[in-house]
Amino acid sequence: MNHQLRVYNDIFEMLPSEENPSPLVRINRLNPAPEFALYAKLEWMNPFGSVKDRAAWAMLRDLEERGELGNGRGLVEPTSGNTGISLAALARARGYHLRAVVPNKVPLEKKILLKIAGAELDVVSDELCPAPGLGDGSINLAKTHAKASSHRYVMPNQYENEKNVEAHLRTTGPEIWRQTEGRITHLFVSLGTCGTATGTARFLRGQNPRLKVIAVQPTEGHDVPGLRNLSQLDVSRLFDRSLIDDLLEIDYKLAYTRALELCQTEGLLAGPSSGLILEGARRILERDRAGLGVMIFSDNVFKYTANMVKHIPALAAGTQA
Amino acid sequence: MANYAHPEVLVETDWVKNNLGNPGIKLVEIDVDTKAYDAGHVPGAVGFNWQTQLQDPVRRDILTQDAFDKLVGGAGISPADTVVIYGDNNNWFAAYGFWLFKLYGHKDARLMNGGRVKWLNEADKPLTTERPNPTPVAYKAAAPNNALRALVPEVLEASRTGKCNLVDVRSPDEFTGRVIAPSGMSETAQRGGHIPGAKSIPWNTAVQPSGAFKTADELRAIYLEQKGVDPKKPAIAYCRIGERSSHTWFVLKYLLGFDQVKNYDGSWTEYGNLIGAPIEK
Ligand SMILES: Cc1ncc(COP(=O)(O)O)c(C=O)c1O
Repeated sequence: MNHQLRVYNDIFEMLPSEENPSPLVRINRLNPAPEFALYAKLEWMNPFGSVKDRAAWAMLRDLEERGELGNGRGLVEPTSGNTGISLAALARARGYHLRAVVPNKVPLEKKILLKIAGAELDVVSDELCPAPGLGDGSINLAKTHAKASSHRYVMPNQYENEKNVEAHLRTTGPEIWRQTEGRITHLFVSLGTCGTATGTARFLRGQNPRLKVIAVQPTEGHDVPGLRNLSQLDVSRLFDRSLIDDLLEIDYKLAYTRALELCQTEGLLAGPSSGLILEGARRILERDRAGLGVMIFSDNVFKYTANMVKHIPALAAGTQA
Repeated sequence: MANYAHPEVLVETDWVKNNLGNPGIKLVEIDVDTKAYDAGHVPGAVGFNWQTQLQDPVRRDILTQDAFDKLVGGAGISPADTVVIYGDNNNWFAAYGFWLFKLYGHKDARLMNGGRVKWLNEADKPLTTERPNPTPVAYKAAAPNNALRALVPEVLEASRTGKCNLVDVRSPDEFTGRVIAPSGMSETAQRGGHIPGAKSIPWNTAVQPSGAFKTADELRAIYLEQKGVDPKKPAIAYCRIGERSSHTWFVLKYLLGFDQVKNYDGSWTEYGNLIGAPIEK
């Protein structure tokens, strides 16, 4: 493995670490406060295209080390897409199978990608009638497979697995600390399983107790794949409210319009969850005026063309002869 | 148990676990998501499919007495057996199945409190993909007990006279007509809204976060005091296709002890399509 020449013996060596961090790129034209240096950490530069490479790898390694995989036993996981894509590709490259349980509202591109990456799909219609005690349909179905067919499946369970937090504690946090030479003052994250927020914030807080952590969440009834509104967060055991200074609820439509602005003015082909973070960061920059902020941009826009058109119908104009 | 009027129709997950393999106790799983049973079920449980097995395949109706005999007898269930029913979505279709068992006169039917989610989330409760192989028995159902089932004429009369509580258990958006059905549901109607005079009490008001039913005191406070259901009058519960209303029918009849409660299984997919039926929004 040679990070300088970027020559690797296998795809696993390319996974991010302090020696091989995902890039930080400064935001220029969309920064509303010139005294505030704002950076995006481009997680889509990871080998399988998203921040979830980190958690997937940490969970898979842990299961391997504990002898939970192999001899026909693979993985089952509820996933909105990114974890599944990383897990499927990693698992198949190591000789295991993955069954991904996905809510029906996940974009078609992601479902097809999951299959291309080698996952077997189980699609559940998730929002029949929200009710107490039901939990999440995809989580319940994955748990059912893991319990009823434990000889075939083990469930990493990204919503409860401490390795999801540890991945960011060991990689994302130290990378950012080193890349900013310890000057980071603000961390901007979005919340899905909360592994990214909790692990990264826990590490950076340990380095700088005055670090501000800002988490964004889309408004209720949102359509931002990968993210959860506060009302949906109780499924995640990894959420640690004490690490978060500001929890901003933002109109989810802005996730799409800000993502488009990132694409068209910064050259950052960012997906909607990154758009939502940018909106949150701009609000905090206007309030705090000075500092050094890092936004975790989880994935790029390529998986979301259908969602982008749905929320920005003008994108469809002029696409037919 | 929690001061219910008829506690004998509700069993806890621990009770079911302790009775696994007991030959007089038959387990039946009925789900909204018909894939769930195949993915894993309580050992020994048979699975009934509400779409293909609990309805008449040709005309719109519940399965006939004859079909009920074949289905239940084919599952190895005798009239003297204790039938324990459970399912997903906090027992929506399990309650519908329970209603059918009662309608056809089965003596000892019960619901498993909390349904499949509660079982799934308890570490000591096993699941299997193995299907039981029951020996068919002869089952002879009673003629349908129409005291448990409301049909259109009495629904219209209840609305017109106010002599009977009408309980709409759908979501508030369905009640007001903002939507005709929850998103993703294929059975729908020509019109949205609710039956004039109906009270909106969404079915899930009756369950706690674990998925189990609230206590009788809590239920009484909600249904009688807050929502004003009159215990001196009969009651009819309805929803969209009769499954969520079975859940509330169960609450009113067995947990609160209302004497005369009917499930209107035609529900909104019938009422919202009737020419000339009065609708409120
Ligand atoms: C696009 C996208 N953004 C953000 C997140 C949130 O990351 P985390 O699950 O670590 O909270 C996810 C995770 O699923 C994601 O897929």
